[in-house]
Amino acid sequence: MRDEFWREGLTLLDGALGTVLQHADLPPGARPELLALTHPQILSDIHRAYAQAGSQVVYANTFGCNAKKLAGTGRGVEEVVAASVAAARTGAAGTGARVALDIGPLGELLEPLGSLTFEGAYALFREVVEAGVRAGVDLVVIETMTDLYEAKAALLAAKEHSDLPVFVTLSFEEGGRTFTGCGVTAMARTLEGLGADAIGFNCSLGPDGLAPLVEELAGATSLPIIAKPNAGLPDPLDGHYPMGPEEFAATLAVLVDRGAAILGGCCGTTPDYIAAVQAALAGKTPAPRRYRPASRVCTPTRCLTVDGVRVIGERINPTGKKRLQQALREGDLDYILDLAVRQEDAGADILDVNVGCPGVDEVELLPKVVKKLQSAVSLPLQLDSADPAALEAALRVYNGKPVVNSVNGDPASLAAVLPLVKKYGAAVVGLCLDEKGLPQTAEERLAIARRILSAALAQGIPREDVWIDCLTMTVSAQQSQAVETLQAVRTVREELGLQTVLGVSNISFGLPQRPLVNQTFLTAALACGLTLPILDPNRAEMMDAIRAFRALSGEDEGCGAYVERFAQASAPAAPAPDPGAGEALTLAQAILKGRRGEAGRLAREALERMEPLALVEGELIPALDRAGEEYEAGRLYLPQLLSAAQAAQSVFEAVADQLERTGAAPVKKGALAVATVRGDIHDIGKNIAKTVLENYGYQVLDLGRDVPPETVAEEAARRGLKLVGLSALMTTTLPAMAETVRLLKALPQPPAVFVAGAVVTEDYARSIGADYYAKDAKASAQIAREVLG
Amino acid sequence: MKLDVNEALRYLGVRGEPDPELSAQVARTAEELTNLLTPRYTYQVFDLAPAPGGIRLAGTETVLPGTTAARMLGSCRQAALLACTLGARFDQMLLAAQARDMARAVVLDACGGAWVEAGCDEAEHEIAARFPGQYLTDRFSPGYGDLPLSLQSGLCALLDTPRRLGLYVTESDMLHPVKSVTALVGIADAPQPARVRGCGACTLRETCAYRKGGQRCAR
Repeated sequence: MRDEFWREGLTLLDGALGTVLQHADLPPGARPELLALTHPQILSDIHRAYAQAGSQVVYANTFGCNAKKLAGTGRGVEEVVAASVAAARTGAAGTGARVALDIGPLGELLEPLGSLTFEGAYALFREVVEAGVRAGVDLVVIETMTDLYEAKAALLAAKEHSDLPVFVTLSFEEGGRTFTGCGVTAMARTLEGLGADAIGFNCSLGPDGLAPLVEELAGATSLPIIAKPNAGLPDPLDGHYPMGPEEFAATLAVLVDRGAAILGGCCGTTPDYIAAVQAALAGKTPAPRRYRPASRVCTPTRCLTVDGVRVIGERINPTGKKRLQQALREGDLDYILDLAVRQEDAGADILDVNVGCPGVDEVELLPKVVKKLQSAVSLPLQLDSADPAALEAALRVYNGKPVVNSVNGDPASLAAVLPLVKKYGAAVVGLCLDEKGLPQTAEERLAIARRILSAALAQGIPREDVWIDCLTMTVSAQQSQAVETLQAVRTVREELGLQTVLGVSNISFGLPQRPLVNQTFLTAALACGLTLPILDPNRAEMMDAIRAFRALSGEDEGCGAYVERFAQASAPAAPAPDPGAGEALTLAQAILKGRRGEAGRLAREALERMEPLALVEGELIPALDRAGEEYEAGRLYLPQLLSAAQAAQSVFEAVADQLERTGAAPVKKGALAVATVRGDIHDIGKNIAKTVLENYGYQVLDLGRDVPPETVAEEAARRGLKLVGLSALMTTTLPAMAETVRLLKALPQPPAVFVAGAVVTEDYARSIGADYYAKDAKASAQIAREVLG
Repeated sequence: MKLDVNEALRYLGVRGEPDPELSAQVARTAEELTNLLTPRYTYQVFDLAPAPGGIRLAGTETVLPGTTAARMLGSCRQAALLACTLGARFDQMLLAAQARDMARAVVLDACGGAWVEAGCDEAEHEIAARFPGQYLTDRFSPGYGDLPLSLQSGLCALLDTPRRLGLYVTESDMLHPVKSVTALVGIADAPQPARVRGCGACTLRETCAYRKGGQRCAR
């Protein structure tokens, strides 16, 4: 039986180590991480002082003891953790205080913003956890995190490599978010789902600033809440914290009334503060909690509560979509991201992500796609696969709380999928079918839904996280099923009270006027209690039906959203943003002016009377050249050049559609790779060049940023590329650029290389053996033309 | 704090009278950005002490080497070290914008540059207010003149920027999140001449697009 000491009454943690150390007699330049090796007595004394002041848990001095931060000290994680835990044990001896392994942030940004991968962070944390377990700690504390993704990596490492209780606290700013934008409810749902034992806040704000956050958290989690704030906000001039022990203790008592039950201090606090807190809290008991369960999924920045109709976007599913299948096979993640952003911008609430198609390794690809999507989309994802291994791979790297699509009533499916849903704290879609297939009646589907629910509850998955899909059949093939499906939705909603999911678009397969059938079926299903329709949010008639339904159901209070949607449609035309808008433009003019929609429309018209290649060579490229010349001459600026390039993209899309229709070979110019060199995290310049090159029709392989020289050379060799472009922003990364050029030029068939970036010059380019210097994106297109034609 | 739209336009390479459509786009993006994010900053004031090879921030291991620091801080007994960042949320915004509209992304990038400078100005005003009767030098940063970029990690450690601002230094001495600045401001008893704001001290002087166009970025 685990010792859940924190569940009894209030629990007192310790205060700051660093603040006390500042007053200790340490030599300047001493590494705080190594104190257990250099000055163990000083540490033990501090731990003892805290334990004697009333701390029931003391944090060992392991906050920065990870391989990354210890690099260069000549000391290893195992050794430092063991010594730090021993010092804490010595200090706590005889007091009954428990010793926690303290895990702090790694000190760099994780992907997608930084180069440290989720797996890399996990490996670093795992090493610390394993050392802590061997050193015999009583619990693990993950603290001062500002990135939910990093907190997840640490929590997963702690859960998978120890049986110890795990506390997790994040550091929030005024405004109720962390530095990376994580909100309180998103933190709560994610960390509780992943199995943390207590969650809350430390550092950053003072106890007064924490009060509203504690209150929000109390409504968002059933777990005990931790508050370990600073002694107010420090004066920047001298680093002095304004709150004294009594004031601090009194404010902490307020946090108890708001729901906090595990208390301590962070920066600026000392054993005196803890003693004051101990006195102030004497006789106090935890406040009654008022957690109200709700169906929620989230990303760090966006938490979605399903308390009305919420739309699941269906577009990322390759079934019957040739271009998506091709993109998946080629690993063209940009295409998939584009599908995602269009759905987010069209009003989807959740995005379904299915990458299963022949020739694709889902276990490898699904997590990659998840990472790509969470780099630029803030919506929660629905991870959609029939392969439990692919689901687990994606669940691991998902940042937040996702929904899994799907499990069904087959015992084998329940056994394979539900443990994953529980472990990673996801919601799950249960399909109303089982090993015998899809039942024909609503009653039988309800029975399967019941089975799925009870199996989920038995796993410890709360009922609000079980969403039921009663399954849509094609009405032209099985006409009686439409009514059965609707009836099943109604009974699942009414009798089980669960969220209901339904893919809507299948209903109309094989019928004319499919949008009409889809819209009518959607409306009928919503009336039966459908809460989570899966559909294409880019279809206005579907989204409008939902807007109308929300007005009728009362979800859209005062019909405000509905009126707003249609106010513009009936109002007289708004004045054009540009005096030129509305006049008849030629294709070239539309491109030059950056009018995407207009350029695409004109291109489709032109394709009725001319060959795709002629359109590209005869109209598109000259127009882009013209934009480039205007840019050179200083009459157009970079945003306008890029707008022109993006308008050209819509012409390319029209061309690609035409070629797909006629089955002709795609218009593709040569391929090249672009990369920002190792050490360099600024990649907007590279991305600008990519946009321009792609819109000239080149196939651009984007290797990303902070790319090791070896990777660039390997990719160039493997793909037989004739041209590679490299970018570097800072003088510190120029050596990596030189090294990359050197490796490329040592290949048996060396590609031409162009280099670019703020500190790169023509002379420098020549001196490192590059063939070209691109002073801007326009120049890179000229170079591509010279090399690739 | 006010985002200087003209500064953002300069970052976009606009010389002379800006095109009204582009100006409007920059103003719109600037408003969106400033509604969403506020620059965060922290600073600390150090006594200055002569040290072998440069000027020491007293009580620390940090020595500012080279002629730039000597010239800028020569008449100062104290200096403020400041750090300012738009934070990781700006990087997220920029990623999201790049996935949607590259033209808008470069405008956002330029606005971010101007916004973090506005944050530095605000920090500088706050510092000035705490030293009435004294004079501040121009702000200068690692990478200006011969002040090395390799100072970044030490300077950020002194200000505890990972914890206070979510600001990190990469192994290649870059500040991360991308819109971040560290800077030094000397505090002197006598009025200080402008020194840094000219091309002579700038490491980009050989490649600068403004200079090629006969312009300058500084006032």
